Amino acid sequence: MSELLIRHACVVDPVNRISGEIMDLAVRDGRIVESVSDRAEVIDAQGFLTMAGGIDSHTHICGTKVNFGRYMSPEDMRAGRTLKKGQMHSTSGYSVPTTYGNSYRYATMGYTAVLEGAMAPLEARHTHEEFMATPLQDTMANVLFDGNWPVMEAVRDRDVKRVAAIVAWVLTAVKGFAIKITNPGGTEAWGWGKNVTCIRDPVPYFEVTPAEIIETLIRANEILRLPHSVHLHCNNLGTPGNYSCTIGSMDVAPDLNKERQSLYVTHVQFHSYGGTSWKDINSKAHVVADAVNRKPHIVIDMGQMMFGKTTTMTADGPMEFNLYKLHHNKWSNHDVELETGSGIIPVYYSRKSIVNSVMWAIGLELALLIKNPEQCLLATDNPNGSPFVKYPEIIALLMSNPYRQAEIATLPPETESRISLPAIDRELDWNEIAMMTRAGQGRALGLRKLGRGHLGLGAIADIAIYPLSIGAIDPSKEYTRVIEALRLTRYTIKNGKVIARDGEILSNRNKTTIWVRPKIPEQHRMDHDPDFIRNFERYYTVRMSNYPVQEAYVPESTCIETEAVW
Amino acid sequence: MIFTLNTGRTIQQGNNVEMKYHPDYAKEVSRCHMNPLDMLDLGVMDGERVRVTGPAGSVVMYVVQDETVSHSTVFVPYGIYANQVISTETHGTGMPDFKTTEANLEPTEDSVLTVPELLRALGGMPYVA
Amino acid sequence: MLHEDVVCPFCACLCDDLKVETDNGTIVKVDNACDLGNHKFLTDDDHRLKEPIRRTPSGWTSATLQHAIDRTVEILLGADRPLLYGWSGTHGEAQSIGVHMAEVLGGVIDSTTSVCHGPSILAIQEVGHPGCTLGQVKNRADLVVYWGANPIEAHPRHMSRYTTYTDGFFLDRAFKERKVIVVDIRRTQTAEVADEFILIKKGGDYAVLSALRAIVRGKSDMIPATVAGVTKEQLLRIAEMCKKAKFGAFFFGMGITQTQGKYKNIRNAIELVDELNRHTKFTLTPMRGHYNVYGFNEVCTWMTGYPYAVDFCRGMAFYNPGETSAVDILARKECDACLVVASDPAAHFPKDAVRHLGEIPTVQIDPYPNTTTAFCELQIPVAVTGIDAQGTSYRMDGVPIRVKSILNRGYPTDTDILGEIYRRIKEAKRV
Repeated sequence: MSELLIRHACVVDPVNRISGEIMDLAVRDGRIVESVSDRAEVIDAQGFLTMAGGIDSHTHICGTKVNFGRYMSPEDMRAGRTLKKGQMHSTSGYSVPTTYGNSYRYATMGYTAVLEGAMAPLEARHTHEEFMATPLQDTMANVLFDGNWPVMEAVRDRDVKRVAAIVAWVLTAVKGFAIKITNPGGTEAWGWGKNVTCIRDPVPYFEVTPAEIIETLIRANEILRLPHSVHLHCNNLGTPGNYSCTIGSMDVAPDLNKERQSLYVTHVQFHSYGGTSWKDINSKAHVVADAVNRKPHIVIDMGQMMFGKTTTMTADGPMEFNLYKLHHNKWSNHDVELETGSGIIPVYYSRKSIVNSVMWAIGLELALLIKNPEQCLLATDNPNGSPFVKYPEIIALLMSNPYRQAEIATLPPETESRISLPAIDRELDWNEIAMMTRAGQGRALGLRKLGRGHLGLGAIADIAIYPLSIGAIDPSKEYTRVIEALRLTRYTIKNGKVIARDGEILSNRNKTTIWVRPKIPEQHRMDHDPDFIRNFERYYTVRMSNYPVQEAYVPESTCIETEAVW
Repeated sequence: MIFTLNTGRTIQQGNNVEMKYHPDYAKEVSRCHMNPLDMLDLGVMDGERVRVTGPAGSVVMYVVQDETVSHSTVFVPYGIYANQVISTETHGTGMPDFKTTEANLEPTEDSVLTVPELLRALGGMPYVA
Repeated sequence: MLHEDVVCPFCACLCDDLKVETDNGTIVKVDNACDLGNHKFLTDDDHRLKEPIRRTPSGWTSATLQHAIDRTVEILLGADRPLLYGWSGTHGEAQSIGVHMAEVLGGVIDSTTSVCHGPSILAIQEVGHPGCTLGQVKNRADLVVYWGANPIEAHPRHMSRYTTYTDGFFLDRAFKERKVIVVDIRRTQTAEVADEFILIKKGGDYAVLSALRAIVRGKSDMIPATVAGVTKEQLLRIAEMCKKAKFGAFFFGMGITQTQGKYKNIRNAIELVDELNRHTKFTLTPMRGHYNVYGFNEVCTWMTGYPYAVDFCRGMAFYNPGETSAVDILARKECDACLVVASDPAAHFPKDAVRHLGEIPTVQIDPYPNTTTAFCELQIPVAVTGIDAQGTSYRMDGVPIRVKSILNRGYPTDTDILGEIYRRIKEAKRV
């Protein structure tokens, strides 16, 4: 039995309606409990801001394309190096750090769980290998289904149960967490160097539309009763005028789940552009935010872009090639047979660029115009919008109108007429920030009832204590202190153990990989389906028996079993 | 006569890759494949021997007539014989000139050294079970 | 006993459809493998080193495993600048321990990459890599280009499993529907099956690639009558074939990584593929050699940020191939101890690099005696990954496959031995 008592914590825990109350938190065997014995280890939180561990519900930190981002970018590796020190391995990388780099930086920012945004099933083993080398966060992986041949065929046949059965087989085989669709249909078209423009374009050969793929997968998701909803990266990312496609995609989603959203739309900043070309691009964040406000069954994340150097990486292969043609930097692409694609290019977001300035404003506008913070989560699509180490600056921008105005003053003057940010004076409070960085993620991922994203009795004792007395400062004026405090926790506690203190890592390993195993009726399972097996053996280049990820790749594993409603 | 030494993988070299003391390995990687016209110019016949001298030294190999090899180049399955003449210079890339080493070829009566002999010449002690 | 869907641990095709029959601890039959794979499985037992061996002034003698490990730890701890080299012939879990070990020791770690596709990686770091998994090629490609690669000898099932001869989803009669272009400086066996063979004069790859780029960009006027021995007529025909293809797949081998120009050739090839993507779909894949050479690059990258040639002497990862790569370090006589794992540098390095291995304490961990053995103080035999050890391997296109163990010959695995050495080093360094 291990016990921990955190005294004088200034707790912000919106799930349990605790808002800046100074209190003690008792922890036994990794869970929050009523009280502990007097033998408990004691930590004095000194009245500092204390929240549940941060959860990143959309980030790229592990797997084939992330590693290729490192592999092709020694310049990025050199830009973020730390020495081997104590228990810490040396690290490399600024926008795409090594696995230890990611893990240490997230840990010292108080983040204890992360969802890898895109895992190609065929290469899942790779993602799990990197998860094993990411020692201090609980890890989950979105599994890509945007160009999955058997799924598209079943969609074409309007057989939602078959779609569900395929998803169940794949998720179980690759030890994945949720359904991800990246540019649905577009990644398959990219197999021929083509793309789809929006949700009504038919996919070459398969003759299904992105809208049909999205809707059928949402229904299949709920048949399987998966913890998370479908996680969508819309078609037409990063194109002027794409906001209407984004809203059209949201309109496709039925409202099927009472406990959480039915559709999670990711990095919406990249999908909220007005205008007809790069010359007249403008923000349509207010239109998208209105749509989200009217649809409680939708949750989005910001996909905030921050100025500076980063690396873009996504399963959206055609989009990356278009971006390459604009930037003329280096370009990598990796299409995955029968499943999906991916692309990578390095970028520099400049505050001298009107386009980049508009992008910067859009992310913030979304967060400020969407009324319910649980519907707009904080993420940068790390590292696409910016590396996650910029989260403290984003939080400060959301909490301080003066900070935003000071930043706007540095942008090209032509920007102002294209955005609505200068006129928005909303300033988020700590409850709302907690919603956007942990509580909302807990709900959106379906993990709140499993004790994540909050500090109620029975919750998992993942706790972040930041060196900031929130009662004593005004974030609107003292935003630089907010940034400083959120960069480095005084303590990060995971499963009741201190893993980081003042930037120093104190644990070798403390994690689990969370994955789902949906149970469906035996006779519908794909491993008994002759068509599925025949096509698998015929068109994949690995044998079906060698495809599933073995137990050896999840030595620390939390399997969520669900019972399908058939 | 100066030739460009080109090395590369062959199926026999691959088959013998885990049995480097076996005579089959030596036989495969000590073969210097030459265009018949070049052989005529140099005055060697198939199965005869040439001394190949490059920036790092020289080694004796067997001549193998091979129509697929282009004029003024020779092909040697990559391995310990070719490496007797190739320099460690990598031009800042980490990669030696495995396919572009200039080498002088001359007919010779000297014998082809065995793998253990080559290893001993470099200070090694061959292991034979 | 029949083992199905066995993964072949020879080349980076990583064929996973072998049927292997074992009987009483020996392999008696192999189906589906190529000549190289067959040979590896069927002759494996004949060549294994049976126990650790130690070199004495009078010859080789057997050593206990305990002594071998003690002495290896002593050598590595006593070295100022140890080189940990090889790694392509073992599983990822062992490679990962190797990288950790290099970090703790402040040593240099490099793999056979530096003498095979290292230049490809340098080019990718300049201009990126438009690639795909091999199934994309199998199911879609109507044009396949092999440039400076001879798969019939080096990757014998590449053409029948992934390209020329295999039917795919969008190609019912692949052999008829797919065109093959082979480019080389000699008429290889692969050239014999090509629809178009381009015979280039030695060292002419860069010029021919540039000419094709110019033609694809619509600048054919500037092309002379021949380029590096290739006629303009043929170049125009090839460029047209590439542009007209629905899906083109470009494979390249050491024929352009090792020749003059090295990584600049690959850069040019990648930029040709970039250019072709403005007309149609084109991808590019290096023909990686060892079955897990790419795995080392993956492991080393997620752990250190760099794919090979990583120097930890500054307490963090430093990468500069040409300086921190194995041949250069040996040629400068910079390392004062060497651990060789799962490769045979004495056969594949220029002789002056090999000579230095014999002048410093060198230890080899490898199932077989090889030419490097001759320069070692000690060799520790281990299980062969794919035969009596299992673990992760990465195919040439980055697809990770778990390689299986099909029998037990009583050897420790690389992971066992390296894990123990690493543990002892950490203990000594109080990590």
